[in-house]
Order: sequence, then C-alpha cells, then structure tokens
Amino acid sequence: MVALARKTLRYEWRRFLPAILAVGFAGLLQLLQAALVLGIFGSASIYITGSTAQLWAGYPGSQSVSLGRPIDQDVAMRLRMDPAVSKVEPFDWVDGDWRGARGGGISVFVCGIDTAPDAMMFARVLSPALRERLKEPDAVIVDQADIGSLGVHVGDSARINGRLVRVVGVSHGLRALGGVNVLASLDTARTLDNDPDDEGRMIFYVAGLHNPSQAGAVARRLNGASTFGPYAVWTARDFARRSQMYWILDTGAGAGVLFLAGIVFLVGAVITSQTLVAAVVGSIREYATLNALGVGMGPLRRIVMEQAFWVGAIGLLGSVLLGLLLFALARSHDVPIALDPLAALACLALGMALAIVSGLAAMRSLRRADPASLLR
Amino acid sequence: MSMAAPPSPVLALQARDVRKSFVSGRVRSSVLHDLSLDVYAGELTLISGPSGCGKSTLLAILSGLQPPDAGRVSALGESLDGLDRHALERFRLRHTGFVFQGFNLFPALNALEQVELPLSYLGLGKDEARRRAAAALEEVGLGPRTHLRPAELSGGEKQRVAIARAVAKRPELLFADEPTSALDAANGQTVIDILHTIARTHGTTVLCVSHDPRLVAHADRVLAMEDGRILSDRRLEPAPAPAKENLP
Repeated sequence: MVALARKTLRYEWRRFLPAILAVGFAGLLQLLQAALVLGIFGSASIYITGSTAQLWAGYPGSQSVSLGRPIDQDVAMRLRMDPAVSKVEPFDWVDGDWRGARGGGISVFVCGIDTAPDAMMFARVLSPALRERLKEPDAVIVDQADIGSLGVHVGDSARINGRLVRVVGVSHGLRALGGVNVLASLDTARTLDNDPDDEGRMIFYVAGLHNPSQAGAVARRLNGASTFGPYAVWTARDFARRSQMYWILDTGAGAGVLFLAGIVFLVGAVITSQTLVAAVVGSIREYATLNALGVGMGPLRRIVMEQAFWVGAIGLLGSVLLGLLLFALARSHDVPIALDPLAALACLALGMALAIVSGLAAMRSLRRADPASLLR
Repeated sequence: MSMAAPPSPVLALQARDVRKSFVSGRVRSSVLHDLSLDVYAGELTLISGPSGCGKSTLLAILSGLQPPDAGRVSALGESLDGLDRHALERFRLRHTGFVFQGFNLFPALNALEQVELPLSYLGLGKDEARRRAAAALEEVGLGPRTHLRPAELSGGEKQRVAIARAVAKRPELLFADEPTSALDAANGQTVIDILHTIARTHGTTVLCVSHDPRLVAHADRVLAMEDGRILSDRRLEPAPAPAKENLP
C-alpha cells in the first residue's frame, strides 16, 4: 500500500504546518496548565509528600493539613498500640503573625516537627544537619522562596505572635499555599502557640509502619475506635490527594482549568480542522480521480483520518519536547510545577482527540470529490 | 439517429434512450435527448463535438460516474441501471480506467507510486502492484523516469503517468476526456499513439471524448455530437475487423 497520507504530509508539510502547530500548542498549553495547577496545589500537600510517614491521624473531616484541628494526645498511644506501627511522631501547626525588622505583619504557618535525626516529618525536604539546628531554642527555618517577602537572612531575628525567633537556616521546596511555612521544633512551636485550648493537644500525629504496603488496611483498622476522642486516620496518599483536591475545588481552580481546557480544545480544533479541510480540498481532484478509478469513499476517508492522526502525533511530540524544556526552565526558577503520568497522558489524549475531531470534520469535505466534476 | 452497423459482434457499452438534463437556478437545460449508442470492444471510439454538446455527460453516464435521468445503460453485459454508489465503485474498480484533461496526480508521489496507488485497492500484493505499475510506465515510455514527482515531469509525461495509472489495472474499458487538450502538438501526438496502441494490443475498449482533430485519424470510429444528439457515425480504418465506411 502506498503511504499516501504520510508521503503527502512530508512533501506538503507547509500546508499541514498550521494544524501541527495548533495541535502542538494546544497540547503544550494543556500540559503546562495541568503542571502548574498540580504544582501550585501540590504545595498544599507538601507536608505530606515531603514526609516519610505512611499514616496521618487528625481531626475527622480535615480537608487539608492547613485546616487541622487539635486532637487528643492519647491518639498517639492508640497508634503505638497497633502492632503494624513502628513509630509515631507529633506534627504541630500554629498560625502565626510574623513581624520582621521591616515591620508589618505576615501570616505564617509554624510547623512544629520532631528534631530527631530519623524523624519522619519533612524527611524528604530537610537535611539532617538543617533539622539539627532546630534544636536551639526559638530557632526557625524559612523557605528560600519566602526570603524576600519575610525580609530576613540567616541569623536575623523576627517575632512570631510577639515572641522572638531566630532564623537558623533556609529550606528549599517548602513554599506554602496562601501563606508562608516556618519550620520550628515541637517545643518552639508550642511556645509560639497563644491558644490556651491547645494545651495537651496536638494537630496531627503521623506514623511509620513496619510494612508500608499495609497502610490502607492499618488506616481502616485504626479508624474504627473512638475511645480517644474524635480523630481520623488517613494514608499519606489519600490525605495528600484530599488536600490537593480541596484546594483545587475550593479555589475554583478546577473549574478554571476545565474552562481553559475547553477553550484551548475549541480554538485548536477550529485551526486544525480548517487546515485539514484546506488540505483535502487542495487534493480534491486527485481524490476524485481515485474515486473514478473505483477507490471507495471509505478508503479515501481513511487517508484523511491517517493524516489527522499524524498531524496529532507530530504536534504532540513537539508539545512534549517543548514541555520538557519549559519544565526544566520552571524548575530552575522555583516555579511550582508537577505533572504525574496520568495527568500528562490525559493532556496528550485531549490533544489527539482534537486532531481526530478535526479529521472527522475534514472528512466531510471529501463529499466534494465527485469524479463527474472532472469531466469538463 | 444514425448508428454504425456493428462490424464486430462484441458489445462493450450500450446506451438506450438515455436522457439527462441539468437544473441551474430555475432553468432546466436538457443535455442528452433520448440518445442510443453501441460501443464495440477493442475499438478506439472518438466522440467529438463543440463544447456543451453533451459529450462529457455521455462519457460520465457510460462509465458509471453519473446515472441518467431516463434510459438504460449496460457495460460489459452488466446493467448499470439502479446500481448504488458502492456497486458502481466496485464496477469501476474492476473494469474501468480514466484519463482526464487535468492529470490529477498527487504532488507527493513519484510516477511509480501514482500508478501503484489504485492497484493496491484491487487487492494486489505489494510486489505484484509494483511490477504492474513499472510495466505500465514502461509501456507509456516512462521506464527511466519512474522515480520523479509530478513537479519534475513535463505536461506530456504527466499525462502519460495518468494513462499508466488508468491502464495498470488492465481494465476492459478506458475512458478519456479531452486527453490531449492541455498538451502541445508533440506530446498530444504521443498520447494519441499510446491510446491507439492500448486499444490495439490489449483489446481495450477506448472511449475518448475530444474536439482535437488530430485524434480523428487514429480512431476506429468517430461519432460527431451536437446538442445532445449524435449527428454522424463514421468508421475510419479497416481495423480491427473488416469494416466499411459507414456514413449516415
């Protein structure tokens, strides 16, 4: 079989270029917006994804780490009693008001974490040496991305909730959503907490398991009891997703993403289908000749659809290559981006769907391939 | 209506009382008026006449590209009346070749691929299709130029590729619509010779529509048309069967 679709695409590439670019840019836009949204809202779950704990215990119905409410300290005991649990660690969360040398208040989230070298909280983003420095009283660590807005450098002092703290280090990749993350030891965090109701209570407990693959089963088992006051246990995976989804839906970003995806799809499909229609019409006499020679409409339609497929494939290859380049650029500039394979695949599938829909539209113009019109 | 007496008994195409009219706006213009015609196998039959006389419409109806408004058409003993589009496509795929005034070649394909393309839809294997395509190109004298694309071929060469594409299927019927009118004298002559040879050597029935007077000398039979009717029907050469001049 002569590969008419591919040969035409290669020989007349200029004619198909607008369609390839339309599919390529549509794919790229979908990829970038998905990566940005997932990256930005992924920071809502950085507490979970940056830690090595497999289970999270908090107040029932907590939609996100930042929305935790105090639970009884005895919950830690309940977690430890389970034979599958290897260790338990508290995670404190204090809403603070930061006042630096420049004055003016900034809302900060103080994360009280264990300072032991093998602690689970932020084990993925905090080096043991940096964690060690939190052992000093009133020591805090701020993120590189927030240095500017907080107006401090390592060694500077500031006030949180009126209490003096000292910046002992700078972390990376702990940018928060809707505020600024400040890391402190559990003791320091406790001293910064002005709410007397929080006495004897903790916001979250995280747990490590002997066998991480049992996380789901253990979480279900631990959720059964209520002897230790209201609490709920989630696997880290579930809780991270819960946090992200909460933010994506709560901020309306989800609807925004879908809306933009629809617009990109529409614009891309219009350009692509018009280009493909023009390509079909440009070869209409040749198609009509094939039809005169007895080649049916079915095989002719297949040629058009094959062209649409290749336009999609080439365009999406371009989006992937350009996307990788832009992702690398974004990473090097601390722009929060994240893309899981499923989301990436969905974006590419949408791009291919665009090409196929355009092909179907172009296929209709094959009806003009009437061989009798060649007799003049 | 005048009809030539059949010198050869094998009928390739037959039209009986064929009528066709076109509507443009509110005006209905009749193109063919109850036309009847027999075309015999293995001959080069030329239909000539001024433009607008209905000769192209007649070709379209005889070749199964267009249905008549009324009347009966049969080709190779098979009635084309009432066949649906798919059946007509199947018939054309198996039995007919076409050469148009425009060459209608795909710009992206070289000469060999142009000829090979329709063959692959006949269900021929790749090697067989390639072999037949090469042979057809050889026959029209393009053997050494099979790897050139239309942009690298002259008008005459392009028309020869189009002829090769039409005959590589080995059709019993070859329809040609003004095959020489876009060509200069020399190339026109070459194309005429090729059509003539095809009718002679392959026994193909060639029905050619043209107002090119050069073609007349090469035709076995010349039909003159005007206003949707056949005015004259002449037999020119004593080949392939013994024939006599047959004037109305």
